[in-house]
Amino acid sequence: MAGISLDLAPGSSLLVVGPSGSGKSTLARAVAGLVPWSAPGRLGGLLELDGIPVGGSESGALVARIGVVFQDPASQLVMERAEDDVAFGLEGRGWPPPAMRARVPAALAQAGLAGFERRRTARLSGGEQQRLALAGAFAPHPGLLVLDEPTANLDPPGALAFAERLATVHRARTATIVLVEHRADLAWPLADLVLALAADGTPLALGAPAELLTRHRPALQAAGIWLPDEPMPLLPATASARPGPALAEARDVDFAFERGIGVLAGLDLAIEPGTGVALLGPNGSGKSTAARLLVGLLRPTRGTVRVGGRDPSRVAPRDLARLAGYVTQDPERSFLAATVEGDLLLGLTPDERTRAGDVAAALGLELGRFGSRNPFTLSGGEQRRHSLACQLVRRPGLLVLDEPTFGQDRRGYEGLLALVRARVEDGTAVVAATHDLRFAADLAGRVVRLAGGRTVEGLP
Amino acid sequence: MIAVPGRADRVATSLLGRANPLATLAIAIAWLLALATTTDLRPPLLVAAVAIAAALTLGRVPPADLARGLAPLWLAALSVGFFNALLSPANADPAATVVLALGPLRLTEPALAAGLALGLRVVAIVAVGVAWGRITDPTHLTDALVQQGRLPERFAYGALAALQAIPWLAEDLVALREARRMRGLRASWHPRVLVGLLVLAIRRGDRLALAMDARGFSAPGRTRYREVRWAALDAVVVLAGLVVLAGIVALR
Repeated sequence: MAGISLDLAPGSSLLVVGPSGSGKSTLARAVAGLVPWSAPGRLGGLLELDGIPVGGSESGALVARIGVVFQDPASQLVMERAEDDVAFGLEGRGWPPPAMRARVPAALAQAGLAGFERRRTARLSGGEQQRLALAGAFAPHPGLLVLDEPTANLDPPGALAFAERLATVHRARTATIVLVEHRADLAWPLADLVLALAADGTPLALGAPAELLTRHRPALQAAGIWLPDEPMPLLPATASARPGPALAEARDVDFAFERGIGVLAGLDLAIEPGTGVALLGPNGSGKSTAARLLVGLLRPTRGTVRVGGRDPSRVAPRDLARLAGYVTQDPERSFLAATVEGDLLLGLTPDERTRAGDVAAALGLELGRFGSRNPFTLSGGEQRRHSLACQLVRRPGLLVLDEPTFGQDRRGYEGLLALVRARVEDGTAVVAATHDLRFAADLAGRVVRLAGGRTVEGLP
Repeated sequence: MIAVPGRADRVATSLLGRANPLATLAIAIAWLLALATTTDLRPPLLVAAVAIAAALTLGRVPPADLARGLAPLWLAALSVGFFNALLSPANADPAATVVLALGPLRLTEPALAAGLALGLRVVAIVAVGVAWGRITDPTHLTDALVQQGRLPERFAYGALAALQAIPWLAEDLVALREARRMRGLRASWHPRVLVGLLVLAIRRGDRLALAMDARGFSAPGRTRYREVRWAALDAVVVLAGLVVLAGIVALR
């Protein structure tokens, strides 16, 4: 990140866009007054909030006027129960106890969490945790809201409701808003000012949204930045289902992590080779659980799962990795080596090793540039593509992806889509659990929704 | 996932749940210290029984919950009692009455009594500890430690946050082992898995600290959402605990 200059008037909103790895999150942390005081880094130039320089002796008090939501909602919940977590920010800002007791339930209700006061934060679903993080940031009526991908874990209705809420705040001019968001259709209408960053972190363009779209469109597109008026589906569909026996099959599957608290009940799903299936469903509907069942990481409580005629939970790891591939929702939890290259080559046959570089390059992670980096230092979008490369390289017959497009810029998305589509055309069965309706449309095959623990074909 | 909010709230609104956790902690410690002064068999049994009964009635802890917490108790008490009896120097005393002889092994009456006393002590310690753990809400305890115990806030709330991270650690472990399986490797205790676990824990700690600061944790003039004060109830709880203790000691 380098050479950024801008003035943001009170009550106005700034949208920060840029390709994956361009420093959007770093900028958000700096604006939130956390660099270098709490987060590592060096700040050059001048960053002032309301005339007070960030990073100085008054930083603690300054931060108290800012509401921040980071990318990963789970790691920013501090307290054990929802109400205490919302109150935590109010305590830090010196609210009197009676005012806190009135504000906490209201803030929860505004985030769509009415009645969640006593719920344990660790037991909430990803979408609910995101809502709680938002409730905590909004509760103290901050003068500045810094939001880093706030809709990432929300289902489409939840994301829409959040965008409407942000629009209300913006109309009332009660808070200045700095927003980092890939979902252009939601974010651009909210912005007074858009700052586009180039891949190296330098400013590419700065201006009103309409002005940027008319004057800088080619530059933004070339940088791989999502624009609000992209066609959907993005690329014309080519894949088509092939008749034939199913490669992967779940029959009448029930699953419960704890007795009596069922996640899935009577799930039926058959996937033919050469098909792409988008698995949709609201937050907490069991998409990730279904994904893990299909590749044999979980065993159904009742019913059967078959991949290539075998029970995937009983296949030896060596064979399983070539039978089925699975990309988890949280890529950091799948890194097994200290470098990108080491992680990619882990457990590969010599034959697979020779094509590993090509797979990584097709996903925009050339080993020459990224190979020696620690996978944890990659940006969110890059991490996700790296964990996809680790699975694609073995050419499994069934490929199960959990939220593969989250945090991807337009170029990353295109590379990922092209590769996944090529695999589908080669006869791979692909299942993608996703909230991304664009990816569902682009994957072009079937759409299956999870509702009440079972599957329903097609969009509502 | 479906949470069960009712269960924890039942305990939190119970008589012992409302009492200051430091008051119940003081009673628990007093009981255990008093046990150290006697080798009698009856006091530890009575202390354990009173602790369990109080948790069930005054603390409204669901019996199944308490039973789960107490499960390791029997094994611990049995093994401590058994090995102390077996390895007791009293077994070497030729004058002692032999209860059991198996080849070179002798089990004498005084050794058996000593083992039993120790085993029952373990029963009492575990029962009191588990009962206190079940009636105590971690957030309530932390608030009391900060407000009455004068513990530094940063340390206390940091520790509370770390406590919540333990389930995350378990999930990280599952995820890392699954990742190995999906790469065609055995999901064993490979050192790499443990390194990964450590890396994830450190990163989570970093983010948590950042999130706490971002929400004004270090700002001056912090107020309190839950004020914990000494109340008449706490005096009653402490007094009742001491009366019960005196009764048990007098009974022997």
